[in-house]
Amino acid sequence: MPTKNVIDERLSKFKNKGKDPAKLREKRISVSVELRKAHKNENFLKRRNITLSSLPDEEALSPDYCSTEMVTPLSMEEIIKDVTSESRESQTRGCQAARKLLSQECNPPLKEIINAGLLSRFVSFLSMDDEPALQFEAAWALTNIASGTSWHTQQVVEHGAVTAFISLLASPMLHISEQAVWALGNIAGDGSAYRDVLIECNVIPALLARICPDTPVGYLRNLTWTLSNLCRNKNPFPPSSAVLQMLPSLIQLLHHCDKDILSDACWAISYLSDGDNERIDVVVKTGIVPRLVELMSHKELSVMVTPALRSIGNIVSGSDLQTQTAIDAGILNVLPRLMRHQKASVQKEAAWALSNIAAGPCNQIQQLITCGLLPPLVEQLKNGDFKTQREAVWAVTNFTSGGTVEQVVHLVQVGALEAIISLLQVKDVKVILVILDAINNIFMAAEKLGETEKLTLLVEELGGLDRIEMLQNHDNDAVYRAAHTLIEKYFSDADIEEVKVDTTVDAFAFQSPDVKRTFEF
Amino acid sequence: MELNDANLQTLTEFLRKTLDPDPTIRRPAEKFLESVEGNQNYPLLLLTLLEKSQDNVIRVCAAVTFKNYIKRNWRIVEDEPDKISDLDRTAIKANIVNLMLSSPEQIQKQLSDAISIIGREDFPQKWPDLLTEMVTRFRSGDFHIINGVLRTAHSLFKRYRHEFKSNELWSEIKLVLDTFALPLTELFKATIELCQTHATDINALKVLFSSLTLISKLFYSLNFQDLPEFFEDNMETWMTNFHALLTLDNKLLQTDDEEEAGLLELLKSQICDNAALYAQKYDEEFQPYLPRFVTAIWNLLVSTGQEVKYDLLVSNAIQFLASVCERPHYKHLFEDQNTLTSICEKVIVPNMEFRSADEEAFEDNSEEYIRRDLEGSDIDTRRRAACDLVRGLCKFFEGPVTAIFSGYVNSMLAEYAKNPGENWKHKDAAIYLVTSLASKAQTQKLCSCSATCKWNCSQIRLSCILIVVNEFPVLKADAVKYVMIFRSQLPKEQLLQAVPLLITHLQAESTVEHTYAAHALERLFTMRGPNNSTLITAAEMAPFTEQLLNNLFKALALPGSAENEYIMKAIMRSFSLLQEAIVPYIPTLIGQLTHKLLLVSKNPSKPHFNHYLFESLCLSVRITCKANPTTVSSFEEALFPVFTEILQNDVQEFLPYVFQVMSLLLEIHSNSIPASYMALFPHLLQPVLWERTGNIPPLVRLLQAYLEKGGATIAGSAADKIPGLLGVFQKLIASKANDHQGFYLLNSIIEHMPPESITQYRKQIFILLFQRLQGSKTTKFIKSFLVFINLYCVKYGAIALQEIFDSIQPKMFGMVLEKIVIPEVQKVSGTVEKKICAVGITKVLTECPAMMDTEYTKLWIPLLQALIGFFELPEDDSIPDDEHFIDIEDTPGYQTAFSQLAFAGKKEHDPIGDAVGNPKILLAQSLHKLSTACPGRVPSMLSTSLNAEALQFLQGYLQAATVQLV
Repeated sequence: MPTKNVIDERLSKFKNKGKDPAKLREKRISVSVELRKAHKNENFLKRRNITLSSLPDEEALSPDYCSTEMVTPLSMEEIIKDVTSESRESQTRGCQAARKLLSQECNPPLKEIINAGLLSRFVSFLSMDDEPALQFEAAWALTNIASGTSWHTQQVVEHGAVTAFISLLASPMLHISEQAVWALGNIAGDGSAYRDVLIECNVIPALLARICPDTPVGYLRNLTWTLSNLCRNKNPFPPSSAVLQMLPSLIQLLHHCDKDILSDACWAISYLSDGDNERIDVVVKTGIVPRLVELMSHKELSVMVTPALRSIGNIVSGSDLQTQTAIDAGILNVLPRLMRHQKASVQKEAAWALSNIAAGPCNQIQQLITCGLLPPLVEQLKNGDFKTQREAVWAVTNFTSGGTVEQVVHLVQVGALEAIISLLQVKDVKVILVILDAINNIFMAAEKLGETEKLTLLVEELGGLDRIEMLQNHDNDAVYRAAHTLIEKYFSDADIEEVKVDTTVDAFAFQSPDVKRTFEF
Repeated sequence: MELNDANLQTLTEFLRKTLDPDPTIRRPAEKFLESVEGNQNYPLLLLTLLEKSQDNVIRVCAAVTFKNYIKRNWRIVEDEPDKISDLDRTAIKANIVNLMLSSPEQIQKQLSDAISIIGREDFPQKWPDLLTEMVTRFRSGDFHIINGVLRTAHSLFKRYRHEFKSNELWSEIKLVLDTFALPLTELFKATIELCQTHATDINALKVLFSSLTLISKLFYSLNFQDLPEFFEDNMETWMTNFHALLTLDNKLLQTDDEEEAGLLELLKSQICDNAALYAQKYDEEFQPYLPRFVTAIWNLLVSTGQEVKYDLLVSNAIQFLASVCERPHYKHLFEDQNTLTSICEKVIVPNMEFRSADEEAFEDNSEEYIRRDLEGSDIDTRRRAACDLVRGLCKFFEGPVTAIFSGYVNSMLAEYAKNPGENWKHKDAAIYLVTSLASKAQTQKLCSCSATCKWNCSQIRLSCILIVVNEFPVLKADAVKYVMIFRSQLPKEQLLQAVPLLITHLQAESTVEHTYAAHALERLFTMRGPNNSTLITAAEMAPFTEQLLNNLFKALALPGSAENEYIMKAIMRSFSLLQEAIVPYIPTLIGQLTHKLLLVSKNPSKPHFNHYLFESLCLSVRITCKANPTTVSSFEEALFPVFTEILQNDVQEFLPYVFQVMSLLLEIHSNSIPASYMALFPHLLQPVLWERTGNIPPLVRLLQAYLEKGGATIAGSAADKIPGLLGVFQKLIASKANDHQGFYLLNSIIEHMPPESITQYRKQIFILLFQRLQGSKTTKFIKSFLVFINLYCVKYGAIALQEIFDSIQPKMFGMVLEKIVIPEVQKVSGTVEKKICAVGITKVLTECPAMMDTEYTKLWIPLLQALIGFFELPEDDSIPDDEHFIDIEDTPGYQTAFSQLAFAGKKEHDPIGDAVGNPKILLAQSLHKLSTACPGRVPSMLSTSLNAEALQFLQGYLQAATVQLV
């Protein structure tokens, strides 16, 4: 009987077991608690209306309109008086004055207006189809209130504005309808709860009905943004029926030539593709992937890079098949340039996408090599911003655990081993552990080639042995163990082997089991 | 336990006894304390003592005991008793912060540790008011209290530096930041102001600077995982003050001590770390501040002296520069030729120099010197940091930096040549520069630079390989190290040239020198040449063999090297390389080795030394007995007296080794067991030995050797020990971790014991196995179980197997086949194991009438199909999720490690052996035999129910065996 081989063999199987390929793909949803300042995102959750795009030109230019802009603002008391009066004229005047206050650049008095109890009046004005001016001013005021904090938005919704705005979408007056689009965008941007309230109220068909060949660009921009907010947010994601409703129009919008429309449509796709493989599948099935790749490579469309790259990044975090569609669409020809993009955030996203492609089967890894992704990867490992380095390290580990022996050798030859070894001193525990994993993978490849000895020397020469030895003093248990295992396995002639076993205490006499029972397996 | 004076008195007495140097007094007292620690109020009694005892020694002892008690028991582990009552837990948490803050420093530290252990488990959920309680103390104005709080906070938060990002961890950090960050910032500002108002009061300054250091450490912990919003918003405050503190000097805070870092140095080192953290991780946000820090740290380096107390500061400061200079957008801060020259001249070269402190270590503290210099634990040393800086600079400025340094190497060597006696340290620095820089580079780099003489390599190389004998010890050690480091790049002739010189150096008086020589030889002997053999062969070593062995053993007699692990490892490696060439020397050497063993067994303290000592013993035995097995008795004669002493004195560290060497010796005997072994047999069954986990694998192996060589003897003269032997099996089988060891033992019993000697126990054995199978079956257990029942079948026959199953419970045989064998056999792994199962199942199919005539018949085809699948399908290595790491991670307390000796290795044993060459053929032949016994039945069963694919395989076997079924 073999004494120790059986156990060893078993252990080695456990190790392979642990390498569940699905776990190699790092999804960005892992940690939702944030310590960092919430950075200004590339697009906004809510927007306040200060100027308006589709205000009829003649009105904007008319002397009358300008003059109203210049009259001295009314006081809050006067506004309240006007808005609550029964005279249409006063109401319009009060409403406009309120809207102007709410449109000022700094500290618009959202709370004051709400506390003055004007919201129910504003909402009731929305349905006065025969008073378009009043309707418009009320809609604008409410739009700006809804652009505030969640509490502000909540006030607008609780005063019944949702259905009123949805009805307004059908208004024959384009600028009024646009205002409704905007207000609804703000409400949808508040979070998944209100987003789903809107969807329940059938906002989507009403919005989509407004897309036609002669819809003005400005209007379409607002509408695309509102659609993107309807795609946004998770826990839960928007219902898939709603997604399916919106997708054809979003795809259509992605072929528009206006860059703002493209950008928001693309953001929408990035939200829709964030999540499990089923969600990714819905996006991939529309056939939009090649267009996304095309958008990423447009040099003049710099705003497109981030959302398009994010979408593609999401897609390649999916199944191998889904990843393949992105590869077939040519993503690997674009990625090298993005890995060297001047913006660090783009480099990071590109490296993230790369790390997920590297988690795929070896034929996809081969395509990475063929398309020249390794040189920029090594460059990023050496010189990148820390966040990019972190993604790049993942790429190396994924590559080394799924790649063939030849591929791993190639990776080492282009300098990745040297680069990850010098990263062993980073101040991030997870990165260190991921690097140790990569080194272990490289050793397993070397073992297959019978070149363990050579690799040990190389690691020693690159200063890796010193660093790994140091890591045996690391406070993190997993790091300590990984470093220790590497040293024991490859750097200490396997002289001392520890086998962990358990204790039980009992006196021994061979005892006949007392209890008679029936066995049933 | 009541909280009363009598108990306090008792506890005081026992605590005092735990400090007694005499183990016969100390041990029982420790045992007593352990036995009462589960009682309620025990921790409160300790806290009372540490607060109120009149005797300071008892107070500290109580504090330490309390801390250890918390460490062992605070964590609540599922399925294990909770030793601390809820009341005690609440009382401890309510009082400990106050108690810690009002205690003298020695006790404060222990309590602070205890708080952090408790905090690790309970904070924040189960200790919600801890943070606010601490923050409130910031306002006390009493810096002794404030420092206590800061120290505790540090021990609570420092884990943020090394734990993985998780929602749980980040939520905790967020909570800490919300309550702690602002008060900490306010405290930081206030403390700095106080430093200015008390700039002339040394006592106040000392306290204040300790606070600043702790605050800086907390800053590091709180900023480690990610840049928190609060600190981003307050970066100006922190960085401006950090920068000011870096440039601050105060005569009052300078210390006279050369060794111990002063408060200023500690603070500045931490600030360097903080700056390095920001530079590395939060570059974008930190950029505006970075150039200022580079200048400040640069000035700091230029103005800091060579004393040991500045080591940490200097190495942290250099590390900061090293991490900055290799980032592309800071390149410009360094690229000026003057800057580079002055970095090399004023920062790097001075810190590469061999200092008098190094010289002292070389002579008086060689162990520490070797650890730092050879084992790479010099991470915080100036030399290491200076090397890292050169490497960093080389990234963008390799040309200019190399030029500057080759100038330096030349001038250092020239200085040395002028006056070697005076200037030998220059040569040391030159060698260090070359070895540490070149060795980190790629292999070819050394060659290319030696060609262009950039580093003046060839000159150094030559002098190193020749290892000039009349050199200074430090330089000789440098030279040996050079050979070792560049071993893979030196041509073989040069290595062979170096070998005799290295052997000579084994005799050097300097510990470092002969240790390095031993280490270098050991490394050279492990180098691989073509065809996977060693690079240096035994034949090439022939001229030096005698001197090598002589010098190695003589070196062990040199002062300071009596338990030198490098020398012992070199001995092991030499034996392994030289093989039969050592045989003539063994009679002398074995005496020296056993003598050594006897000495170290009195007080084993160097685990590596001891391990290589045992490896060397194994090699002596193997190599000698391979040539002449009868010499085994002379080894037994030499070793048994020492082994007996080790066993009698219960030298726990050595027992696993002794068992392995004994197994090795016994296995050499041919089919009989000497009486000396039999005398020991009863002792090996003692429960106390089996309770130590490290003993189990080697003891099982030893018992297997006993059974193999002496199964009959045991059955004859030691039959009364059989229940004890089976008791061991019963104990092992009960443990998920050790059940496979139990099966090893059981399999040996079945294979080697005369059948009649265990007849009476068989049923019990099976019942035990079934109970375990029913109670907690794991994949490992099932695999071992399958191997065992099939071995049983091979040994006793299929009918015996079926009968014993069915005698335990009717229809049991069918149930085991259906529920265990058929579905699980695919999981069995290992060549021998597979063979046993294949032969066993074949016997069940073809030699068990019950399979043909009873209701078991319905299992015949499924079993055959499983067997064919077993032959043809890939092994099923799936393991249910819940038992993935059952025997590695879920087992409590694995402290005792089993130290396996590489050179005591055992051959794989095949109980079936050549009796069955190809199990597929055996199946075909056996089926043929069965079919002739009952013509027609087999083919009809096959044709009606066997899966087509399986049938095809089966026909292949039949053809190969040239038989036909009738």
